[in-house]
Amino acid sequence: MNRLVRAELRRLFSTPLWRWGPPVAVLSGGALTATAVLVGPEHFDPPMPGMDTEAGVRLVISMIGLTVLAPALFGALAVTSEYRHRTITYTFLFAPRRHRVLAAKLAAYALAGNGYGLIVAVSAAAALYGGAAARGVDVGAPVGTVIGLLASLAAAMTVYTVIGVGVGALLRDQTATLAVLGAYLYMVEHLLVLIPGVGAVYPFLPGGATAALTQASLMGEAAVEVTGSAATLLPPALGAAVLLAYAVLAAGAAVLLPMRRDVT
Amino acid sequence: MHPPHRLEFRGLTKRFGPVAAVTGLTFDVEPGRVTGFLGPNGSGKTTTLRMLLGLVAPDAGTARIGGRGYRDLPEPARTVGAVLEASNFHPARTGRDHLRVYADMLGAPAARIELVLALTGIADAAHRKAGGYSTGMRQRLNLATALLGDPPVLVLDEPTNGLDPEGIAWLRRLLRDLAAEGRTVLVASHVLSEAERLVDDVVVMHRGELLTAGALDALTADGTGLEQAFLRLTGAAA
Repeated sequence: MNRLVRAELRRLFSTPLWRWGPPVAVLSGGALTATAVLVGPEHFDPPMPGMDTEAGVRLVISMIGLTVLAPALFGALAVTSEYRHRTITYTFLFAPRRHRVLAAKLAAYALAGNGYGLIVAVSAAAALYGGAAARGVDVGAPVGTVIGLLASLAAAMTVYTVIGVGVGALLRDQTATLAVLGAYLYMVEHLLVLIPGVGAVYPFLPGGATAALTQASLMGEAAVEVTGSAATLLPPALGAAVLLAYAVLAAGAAVLLPMRRDVT
Repeated sequence: MHPPHRLEFRGLTKRFGPVAAVTGLTFDVEPGRVTGFLGPNGSGKTTTLRMLLGLVAPDAGTARIGGRGYRDLPEPARTVGAVLEASNFHPARTGRDHLRVYADMLGAPAARIELVLALTGIADAAHRKAGGYSTGMRQRLNLATALLGDPPVLVLDEPTNGLDPEGIAWLRRLLRDLAAEGRTVLVASHVLSEAERLVDDVVVMHRGELLTAGALDALTADGTGLEQAFLRLTGAAA
Protein backbone atom coordinates (compact mmCIF):
# COMPACT_ATOMS: atom_id res chain seq x y z
CA MET A 1 0.00 0.00 0.00
CA ASN A 2 1.10 3.54 -0.68
CA ARG A 3 3.07 4.99 2.29
CA LEU A 4 0.88 8.05 2.56
CA VAL A 5 -2.39 6.08 2.51
CA ARG A 6 -0.99 3.77 5.16
CA ALA A 7 -0.03 6.81 7.26
CA GLU A 8 -3.53 8.27 6.89
CA LEU A 9 -5.15 5.00 7.97
CA ARG A 10 -2.74 4.90 10.93
CA ARG A 11 -3.65 8.51 11.75
CA LEU A 12 -7.35 7.63 11.62
CA PHE A 13 -7.16 4.50 13.76
CA SER A 14 -4.68 5.84 16.35
CA THR A 15 -7.16 8.17 18.07
CA PRO A 16 -10.35 6.89 19.76
CA LEU A 17 -12.73 8.84 17.49
CA TRP A 18 -13.16 6.07 14.89
CA ARG A 19 -14.71 3.84 17.56
CA TRP A 20 -17.86 5.96 17.29
CA GLY A 21 -18.17 4.93 13.62
CA PRO A 22 -19.60 1.38 13.95
CA PRO A 23 -22.21 2.26 16.63
CA VAL A 24 -23.32 5.35 14.68
CA ALA A 25 -23.56 3.17 11.54
CA VAL A 26 -25.75 0.64 13.36
CA LEU A 27 -27.94 3.48 14.70
CA SER A 28 -28.23 5.07 11.23
CA GLY A 29 -28.92 1.78 9.46
CA GLY A 30 -30.23 -0.82 11.89
CA ALA A 31 -31.92 1.21 14.60
CA LEU A 32 -33.58 3.71 12.24
CA THR A 33 -34.85 0.94 9.92
CA ALA A 34 -36.02 -1.22 12.83
CA THR A 35 -37.99 1.69 14.27
CA ALA A 36 -39.62 2.49 10.90
CA VAL A 37 -40.47 -1.17 10.22
CA LEU A 38 -41.84 -1.85 13.72
CA VAL A 39 -43.96 1.30 13.72
CA GLY A 40 -44.97 0.62 10.11
CA PRO A 41 -45.07 3.38 7.47
CA GLU A 42 -48.85 2.92 7.29
CA HIS A 43 -49.00 4.28 10.84
CA PHE A 44 -46.86 7.36 10.02
CA ASP A 45 -48.59 10.71 10.16
CA PRO A 46 -49.57 11.21 7.36
CA PRO A 47 -49.90 7.49 6.56
CA MET A 48 -47.46 6.14 3.95
CA PRO A 49 -47.57 2.91 1.91
CA GLY A 50 -47.13 -0.18 4.13
CA MET A 51 -44.19 -2.53 4.37
CA ASP A 52 -45.98 -5.07 2.19
CA THR A 53 -45.66 -2.70 -0.80
CA GLU A 54 -42.46 -1.88 -2.71
CA ALA A 55 -43.16 1.85 -2.23
CA GLY A 56 -43.26 1.28 1.54
CA VAL A 57 -39.98 -0.65 1.53
CA ARG A 58 -38.32 2.06 -0.59
CA LEU A 59 -39.57 4.76 1.77
CA VAL A 60 -38.25 2.97 4.86
CA ILE A 61 -34.85 2.37 3.25
CA SER A 62 -34.72 5.93 1.90
CA MET A 63 -34.83 7.23 5.47
CA ILE A 64 -31.22 6.07 5.84
CA GLY A 65 -30.40 8.82 3.35
CA LEU A 66 -31.27 11.33 6.10
CA THR A 67 -28.25 10.22 8.10
CA VAL A 68 -25.54 11.18 5.59
CA LEU A 69 -24.40 14.00 7.86
CA ALA A 70 -22.51 11.44 9.97
CA PRO A 71 -20.09 10.26 7.23
CA ALA A 72 -19.79 13.85 5.93
CA LEU A 73 -18.72 15.11 9.37
CA PHE A 74 -16.37 12.17 9.74
CA GLY A 75 -14.75 12.96 6.37
CA ALA A 76 -14.43 16.62 7.29
CA LEU A 77 -12.20 15.68 10.21
CA ALA A 78 -9.54 14.37 7.79
CA VAL A 79 -8.27 17.90 7.21
CA THR A 80 -9.87 20.06 9.92
CA SER A 81 -8.42 17.94 12.72
CA GLU A 82 -4.93 18.45 11.27
CA TYR A 83 -5.35 22.23 11.32
CA ARG A 84 -6.96 22.21 14.75
CA HIS A 85 -4.13 20.28 16.37
CA ARG A 86 -1.44 21.85 14.16
CA THR A 87 -0.27 18.45 12.93
CA ILE A 88 -0.66 19.83 9.40
CA THR A 89 2.79 21.44 9.81
CA TYR A 90 4.49 18.06 10.22
CA THR A 91 2.29 16.47 7.57
CA PHE A 92 3.28 19.03 4.92
CA LEU A 93 6.93 18.86 6.07
CA PHE A 94 6.95 15.11 5.57
CA ALA A 95 5.09 15.37 2.24
CA PRO A 96 5.62 18.88 0.81
CA ARG A 97 3.87 17.88 -2.43
CA ARG A 98 0.58 18.57 -0.70
CA HIS A 99 -1.73 17.13 -3.33
CA ARG A 100 -0.31 13.69 -2.52
CA VAL A 101 -1.30 14.06 1.14
CA LEU A 102 -4.82 15.06 0.18
CA ALA A 103 -5.10 12.24 -2.37
CA ALA A 104 -4.00 9.81 0.36
CA LYS A 105 -6.57 11.25 2.77
CA LEU A 106 -9.30 10.86 0.14
CA ALA A 107 -8.30 7.23 -0.47
CA ALA A 108 -8.09 6.37 3.24
CA TYR A 109 -11.38 8.08 4.07
CA ALA A 110 -13.14 6.56 1.06
CA LEU A 111 -12.06 3.15 2.37
CA ALA A 112 -13.28 3.98 5.86
CA GLY A 113 -16.52 5.49 4.49
CA ASN A 114 -17.06 2.31 2.52
CA GLY A 115 -16.71 0.25 5.71
CA TYR A 116 -19.16 2.57 7.44
CA GLY A 117 -21.63 2.21 4.56
CA LEU A 118 -21.31 -1.56 4.70
CA ILE A 119 -22.20 -1.64 8.39
CA VAL A 120 -25.16 0.67 7.71
CA ALA A 121 -26.39 -1.59 4.88
CA VAL A 122 -25.95 -4.91 6.70
CA SER A 123 -27.55 -3.67 9.92
CA ALA A 124 -30.42 -2.12 7.93
CA ALA A 125 -31.02 -5.41 6.07
CA ALA A 126 -31.08 -7.31 9.36
CA ALA A 127 -33.49 -4.76 10.84
CA LEU A 128 -35.71 -4.77 7.74
CA TYR A 129 -36.20 -8.54 7.57
CA GLY A 130 -36.02 -9.05 11.34
CA GLY A 131 -38.54 -6.29 12.01
CA ALA A 132 -40.92 -7.52 9.28
CA ALA A 133 -40.72 -11.09 10.65
CA ALA A 134 -41.38 -9.83 14.17
CA ARG A 135 -44.48 -7.96 12.98
CA GLY A 136 -45.53 -10.86 10.78
CA VAL A 137 -45.69 -8.74 7.61
CA ASP A 138 -44.16 -9.50 4.22
CA VAL A 139 -41.39 -7.35 2.80
CA GLY A 140 -43.06 -5.99 -0.32
CA ALA A 141 -39.95 -5.81 -2.48
CA PRO A 142 -37.82 -8.59 -4.00
CA VAL A 143 -34.56 -9.39 -2.14
CA GLY A 144 -32.55 -8.27 -5.20
CA THR A 145 -34.21 -4.84 -5.10
CA VAL A 146 -33.53 -4.46 -1.36
CA ILE A 147 -29.88 -5.43 -1.83
CA GLY A 148 -29.55 -2.97 -4.71
CA LEU A 149 -31.09 -0.12 -2.69
CA LEU A 150 -28.92 -0.79 0.36
CA ALA A 151 -25.76 -1.17 -1.75
CA SER A 152 -26.41 2.17 -3.43
CA LEU A 153 -26.95 3.83 -0.03
CA ALA A 154 -23.71 2.25 1.24
CA ALA A 155 -21.94 3.75 -1.79
CA ALA A 156 -23.62 7.09 -1.01
CA MET A 157 -22.04 6.99 2.48
CA THR A 158 -18.62 6.75 0.79
CA VAL A 159 -19.53 9.67 -1.45
CA TYR A 160 -20.57 11.83 1.52
CA THR A 161 -17.34 10.94 3.33
CA VAL A 162 -15.40 12.20 0.32
CA ILE A 163 -17.58 15.33 0.14
CA GLY A 164 -16.77 15.89 3.83
CA VAL A 165 -13.03 15.65 3.13
CA GLY A 166 -13.43 18.26 0.38
CA VAL A 167 -15.50 20.69 2.47
CA GLY A 168 -13.03 20.29 5.36
CA ALA A 169 -10.10 21.05 3.04
CA LEU A 170 -11.97 24.10 1.76
CA LEU A 171 -12.87 25.59 5.16
CA ARG A 172 -10.11 24.09 7.38
CA ASP A 173 -11.80 25.34 10.57
CA GLN A 174 -13.40 22.40 12.37
CA THR A 175 -16.34 24.22 13.96
CA ALA A 176 -17.15 26.14 10.78
CA THR A 177 -17.07 22.95 8.70
CA LEU A 178 -19.35 21.07 11.09
CA ALA A 179 -21.77 24.02 11.16
CA VAL A 180 -21.82 24.44 7.37
CA LEU A 181 -22.34 20.73 6.68
CA GLY A 182 -25.04 20.44 9.35
CA ALA A 183 -26.86 23.58 8.27
CA TYR A 184 -26.72 22.64 4.60
CA LEU A 185 -27.80 19.02 4.92
CA TYR A 186 -30.52 19.59 7.54
CA MET A 187 -31.77 23.09 6.76
CA VAL A 188 -30.91 24.53 3.38
CA GLU A 189 -31.84 21.49 1.27
CA HIS A 190 -35.07 20.93 3.16
CA LEU A 191 -36.08 24.56 2.85
CA LEU A 192 -35.39 24.47 -0.89
CA VAL A 193 -37.77 21.53 -1.29
CA LEU A 194 -40.53 23.58 0.29
CA ILE A 195 -40.05 26.71 -1.84
CA PRO A 196 -42.26 26.47 -4.94
CA GLY A 197 -40.23 26.75 -8.14
CA VAL A 198 -36.87 26.55 -6.40
CA GLY A 199 -37.73 22.89 -5.76
CA ALA A 200 -36.87 22.26 -9.41
CA VAL A 201 -33.14 22.24 -8.56
CA TYR A 202 -33.65 19.80 -5.67
CA PRO A 203 -33.11 16.64 -7.80
CA PHE A 204 -29.63 17.94 -8.66
CA LEU A 205 -28.65 18.73 -5.06
CA PRO A 206 -26.85 16.03 -3.02
CA GLY A 207 -30.02 15.26 -1.03
CA GLY A 208 -32.16 14.96 -4.16
CA ALA A 209 -29.58 12.76 -5.86
CA THR A 210 -29.46 10.54 -2.74
CA ALA A 211 -33.26 10.26 -2.75
CA ALA A 212 -33.08 9.30 -6.45
CA LEU A 213 -31.11 6.18 -5.46
CA THR A 214 -34.15 4.78 -3.64
CA GLN A 215 -36.77 6.65 -5.70
CA ALA A 216 -38.34 7.74 -2.44
CA SER A 217 -37.88 10.56 0.03
CA LEU A 218 -39.57 11.41 3.26
CA MET A 219 -38.80 15.06 2.54
CA GLY A 220 -40.43 14.71 -0.87
CA GLU A 221 -43.54 13.27 0.74
CA ALA A 222 -43.55 16.11 3.27
CA ALA A 223 -43.19 18.62 0.43
CA VAL A 224 -46.29 17.15 -1.20
CA GLU A 225 -48.14 17.73 2.06
CA VAL A 226 -47.00 21.35 2.27
CA THR A 227 -46.89 22.52 -1.34
CA GLY A 228 -49.20 20.01 -2.98
CA SER A 229 -46.62 19.14 -5.61
CA ALA A 230 -43.85 16.59 -5.49
CA ALA A 231 -40.30 17.31 -6.57
CA THR A 232 -39.51 14.90 -9.38
CA LEU A 233 -36.46 12.78 -8.71
CA LEU A 234 -33.85 11.81 -11.28
CA PRO A 235 -33.66 8.16 -12.36
CA PRO A 236 -31.41 6.15 -9.96
CA ALA A 237 -28.46 5.91 -12.38
CA LEU A 238 -28.54 9.65 -13.02
CA GLY A 239 -28.85 10.33 -9.29
CA ALA A 240 -25.77 8.18 -8.73
CA ALA A 241 -23.93 10.09 -11.46
CA VAL A 242 -24.85 13.44 -9.85
CA LEU A 243 -23.62 12.20 -6.44
CA LEU A 244 -20.42 10.95 -8.03
CA ALA A 245 -19.95 14.34 -9.68
CA TYR A 246 -20.19 16.01 -6.26
CA ALA A 247 -17.59 13.56 -4.93
CA VAL A 248 -15.26 14.35 -7.85
CA LEU A 249 -15.80 18.08 -7.29
CA ALA A 250 -15.06 17.74 -3.56
CA ALA A 251 -12.01 15.56 -4.21
CA GLY A 252 -10.74 18.07 -6.76
CA ALA A 253 -11.19 20.91 -4.28
CA ALA A 254 -9.44 18.90 -1.56
CA VAL A 255 -6.44 18.17 -3.75
CA LEU A 256 -6.08 21.61 -5.35
CA LEU A 257 -6.96 24.05 -2.54
CA PRO A 258 -4.08 23.47 -0.08
CA MET A 259 -1.43 23.78 -2.83
CA ARG A 260 -0.60 27.46 -2.51
CA ARG A 261 -1.91 28.32 0.93
CA ASP A 262 0.66 29.44 3.47
CA VAL A 263 0.85 27.33 6.63
CA THR A 264 1.75 29.95 9.21
CA MET B 1 23.00 9.90 6.32
CA HIS B 2 23.07 12.17 3.28
CA PRO B 3 26.15 14.28 2.50
CA PRO B 4 26.38 17.67 4.25
CA HIS B 5 24.01 20.36 3.03
CA ARG B 6 24.54 24.13 3.08
CA LEU B 7 21.46 26.34 3.50
CA GLU B 8 21.40 29.33 1.15
CA PHE B 9 19.00 32.24 1.54
CA ARG B 10 19.03 34.75 -1.33
CA GLY B 11 16.96 37.94 -1.32
CA LEU B 12 14.17 36.23 0.59
CA THR B 13 11.15 38.52 0.97
CA LYS B 14 7.64 38.06 2.37
CA ARG B 15 4.83 40.47 3.15
CA PHE B 16 1.67 39.66 5.06
CA GLY B 17 -0.69 42.42 3.94
CA PRO B 18 0.81 45.71 5.09
CA VAL B 19 3.47 43.99 7.23
CA ALA B 20 6.91 43.42 5.70
CA ALA B 21 7.76 40.21 7.58
CA VAL B 22 11.06 39.50 5.83
CA THR B 23 12.92 41.80 3.44
CA GLY B 24 15.80 40.90 1.11
CA LEU B 25 17.29 38.30 3.43
CA THR B 26 20.62 36.83 2.21
CA PHE B 27 22.91 34.54 4.22
CA ASP B 28 24.34 31.01 4.31
CA VAL B 29 24.29 28.35 7.01
CA GLU B 30 27.26 25.97 6.99
CA PRO B 31 27.26 22.24 7.74
CA GLY B 32 29.13 20.91 10.77
CA ARG B 33 28.29 23.96 12.89
CA VAL B 34 25.47 25.09 15.12
CA THR B 35 24.11 28.37 13.81
CA GLY B 36 22.00 30.60 16.01
CA PHE B 37 19.23 32.44 14.19
CA LEU B 38 18.68 35.31 16.56
CA GLY B 39 16.39 38.25 16.90
CA PRO B 40 13.54 39.53 19.03
CA ASN B 41 10.04 38.06 18.75
CA GLY B 42 8.43 39.24 15.53
CA SER B 43 11.72 39.86 13.74
CA GLY B 44 10.86 37.41 10.94
CA LYS B 45 12.76 34.29 12.04
CA THR B 46 9.79 31.92 11.99
CA THR B 47 8.56 33.22 8.62
CA THR B 48 12.06 32.69 7.22
CA LEU B 49 12.18 29.12 8.47
CA ARG B 50 8.70 28.42 7.08
CA MET B 51 9.79 29.75 3.69
CA LEU B 52 12.88 27.50 3.83
CA LEU B 53 10.60 24.52 4.47
CA GLY B 54 8.01 25.22 1.78
CA LEU B 55 5.22 26.04 4.25
CA VAL B 56 5.07 29.71 3.29
CA ALA B 57 5.59 30.90 -0.28
CA PRO B 58 8.08 33.80 -0.55
CA ASP B 59 7.08 36.90 -2.51
CA ALA B 60 10.65 37.09 -3.83
CA GLY B 61 13.98 35.37 -3.41
CA THR B 62 14.92 31.76 -2.73
CA ALA B 63 15.82 29.52 0.18
CA ARG B 64 17.74 26.39 -0.83
CA ILE B 65 18.95 23.28 0.94
CA GLY B 66 22.01 21.76 -0.74
CA GLY B 67 21.10 23.71 -3.87
CA ARG B 68 17.41 22.71 -4.02
CA GLY B 69 14.14 24.11 -2.78
CA TYR B 70 12.54 22.04 0.00
CA ARG B 71 9.71 20.76 -2.21
CA ASP B 72 12.22 19.69 -4.87
CA LEU B 73 14.30 17.56 -2.51
CA PRO B 74 14.05 13.88 -3.46
CA GLU B 75 13.49 12.93 0.19
CA PRO B 76 12.62 16.12 2.10
CA ALA B 77 12.00 14.60 5.54
CA ARG B 78 15.16 12.51 5.27
CA THR B 79 17.09 15.68 4.42
CA VAL B 80 15.69 18.21 6.90
CA GLY B 81 14.30 17.55 10.38
CA ALA B 82 12.33 20.50 11.68
CA VAL B 83 10.74 21.60 14.93
CA LEU B 84 8.61 24.67 14.35
CA GLU B 85 6.06 24.80 17.14
CA ALA B 86 5.81 23.76 20.76
CA SER B 87 2.94 21.36 20.11
CA ASN B 88 2.05 19.70 16.83
CA PHE B 89 0.34 16.66 18.26
CA HIS B 90 -3.15 15.26 18.39
CA PRO B 91 -3.82 15.17 22.15
CA ALA B 92 -5.53 11.76 21.98
CA ARG B 93 -2.71 10.05 20.06
CA THR B 94 0.15 8.43 21.97
CA GLY B 95 3.70 9.64 21.44
CA ARG B 96 4.64 6.36 19.78
CA ASP B 97 1.60 6.42 17.46
CA HIS B 98 2.43 10.02 16.50
CA LEU B 99 5.88 8.83 15.45
CA ARG B 100 4.38 5.80 13.68
CA VAL B 101 2.22 8.04 11.46
CA TYR B 102 5.26 10.00 10.30
CA ALA B 103 7.47 6.90 10.08
CA ASP B 104 4.81 5.50 7.74
CA MET B 105 5.05 8.63 5.60
CA LEU B 106 8.84 8.21 5.45
CA GLY B 107 8.85 4.46 5.07
CA ALA B 108 11.06 4.27 8.20
CA PRO B 109 11.15 0.96 10.12
CA ALA B 110 9.74 0.50 13.65
CA ALA B 111 13.29 0.20 15.01
CA ARG B 112 13.94 3.82 14.04
CA ILE B 113 10.98 4.93 16.20
CA GLU B 114 12.42 3.17 19.24
CA LEU B 115 15.83 4.65 18.50
CA VAL B 116 14.63 8.28 18.39
CA LEU B 117 12.47 7.69 21.48
CA ALA B 118 15.56 6.48 23.35
CA LEU B 119 17.72 9.29 21.95
CA THR B 120 15.27 11.95 23.16
CA GLY B 121 14.65 10.25 26.50
CA ILE B 122 10.87 9.78 26.22
CA ALA B 123 10.69 5.99 25.63
CA ASP B 124 8.97 5.53 29.01
CA ALA B 125 6.24 8.03 28.09
CA ALA B 126 5.72 6.81 24.51
CA HIS B 127 2.61 4.79 25.38
CA ARG B 128 0.91 7.84 26.89
CA LYS B 129 -1.32 10.30 25.03
CA ALA B 130 0.55 13.41 23.91
CA GLY B 131 -2.17 15.62 25.40
CA GLY B 132 -0.82 14.71 28.85
CA TYR B 133 2.80 15.57 28.07
CA SER B 134 4.61 18.41 29.80
CA THR B 135 6.01 21.19 27.61
CA GLY B 136 9.48 19.68 27.96
CA MET B 137 8.25 16.25 26.86
CA ARG B 138 6.51 17.82 23.87
CA GLN B 139 9.77 19.44 22.83
CA ARG B 140 11.47 16.05 23.09
CA LEU B 141 8.72 14.42 21.01
CA ASN B 142 9.14 17.23 18.48
CA LEU B 143 12.86 16.46 18.30
CA ALA B 144 12.15 12.74 18.00
CA THR B 145 9.86 13.51 15.03
CA ALA B 146 12.53 15.70 13.44
CA LEU B 147 15.15 12.97 13.85
CA LEU B 148 12.98 10.17 12.38
CA GLY B 149 14.56 10.51 8.95
CA ASP B 150 18.16 10.77 10.31
CA PRO B 151 18.43 14.09 8.45
CA PRO B 152 21.72 15.92 7.69
CA VAL B 153 19.96 19.24 8.38
CA LEU B 154 18.13 20.25 11.56
CA VAL B 155 16.00 23.39 11.76
CA LEU B 156 14.67 24.21 15.21
CA ASP B 157 12.50 27.18 16.18
CA GLU B 158 12.85 28.09 19.86
CA PRO B 159 13.59 24.49 20.92
CA THR B 160 14.48 25.44 24.51
CA ASN B 161 10.99 26.85 25.23
CA GLY B 162 9.57 24.86 28.12
CA LEU B 163 12.76 22.91 28.82
CA ASP B 164 14.13 22.92 32.35
CA PRO B 165 17.85 23.67 32.92
CA GLU B 166 18.66 19.98 32.74
CA GLY B 167 16.75 19.68 29.48
CA ILE B 168 18.53 22.70 28.03
CA ALA B 169 21.92 21.19 28.93
CA TRP B 170 20.82 17.91 27.32
CA LEU B 171 19.68 19.69 24.15
CA ARG B 172 22.97 21.60 23.98
CA ARG B 173 24.94 18.34 24.09
CA LEU B 174 22.65 16.69 21.54
CA LEU B 175 22.91 19.55 19.04
CA ARG B 176 26.69 19.76 19.52
CA ASP B 177 26.99 16.02 18.83
CA LEU B 178 24.78 16.28 15.75
CA ALA B 179 26.83 19.17 14.37
CA ALA B 180 30.05 17.25 15.14
CA GLU B 181 28.71 14.50 12.86
CA GLY B 182 28.72 17.02 10.01
CA ARG B 183 25.06 18.01 10.16
CA THR B 184 23.80 21.50 9.55
CA VAL B 185 22.04 22.79 12.68
CA LEU B 186 20.05 26.04 12.56
CA VAL B 187 18.46 27.11 15.86
CA ALA B 188 16.18 30.13 16.04
CA SER B 189 16.03 31.75 19.46
CA HIS B 190 15.29 35.02 21.16
CA VAL B 191 17.05 33.93 24.36
CA LEU B 192 20.57 35.24 23.77
CA SER B 193 22.12 33.93 26.98
CA GLU B 194 21.22 30.38 25.98
CA ALA B 195 22.23 30.85 22.37
CA GLU B 196 25.65 32.14 23.37
CA ARG B 197 26.48 28.82 25.04
CA LEU B 198 25.22 26.74 22.14
CA VAL B 199 26.16 28.24 18.80
CA ASP B 200 29.27 28.56 16.61
CA ASP B 201 27.80 31.03 14.14
CA VAL B 202 25.12 33.67 14.44
CA VAL B 203 22.64 35.23 12.06
CA VAL B 204 20.93 38.24 13.60
CA MET B 205 17.60 39.58 12.33
CA HIS B 206 15.80 42.75 13.28
CA ARG B 207 12.48 43.97 11.86
CA GLY B 208 12.61 41.48 9.00
CA GLU B 209 16.09 42.39 7.85
CA LEU B 210 19.53 40.87 8.34
CA LEU B 211 21.70 42.76 10.81
CA THR B 212 24.75 40.56 10.73
CA ALA B 213 25.89 37.00 9.99
CA GLY B 214 29.16 35.33 10.93
CA ALA B 215 31.10 33.50 13.61
CA LEU B 216 30.03 34.14 17.22
CA ASP B 217 33.67 34.71 18.15
CA ALA B 218 34.00 37.55 15.66
CA LEU B 219 30.82 39.23 16.88
CA THR B 220 31.89 39.11 20.51
CA ALA B 221 35.63 39.70 19.87
CA ASP B 222 35.66 42.94 21.87
CA GLY B 223 35.05 40.93 25.02
CA THR B 224 31.42 41.90 25.42
CA GLY B 225 28.85 39.13 25.38
CA LEU B 226 26.31 38.32 22.68
CA GLU B 227 23.65 40.34 24.43
CA GLN B 228 25.75 43.51 24.39
CA ALA B 229 26.72 42.90 20.78
CA PHE B 230 23.07 42.38 19.89
CA LEU B 231 21.96 45.55 21.66
CA ARG B 232 24.74 47.47 19.95
CA LEU B 233 23.62 46.17 16.55
CA THR B 234 19.90 46.75 17.08
CA GLY B 235 20.65 50.14 18.60
CA ALA B 236 22.54 51.04 15.45
CA ALA B 237 19.66 49.80 13.36
CA ALA B 238 17.01 51.69 15.29
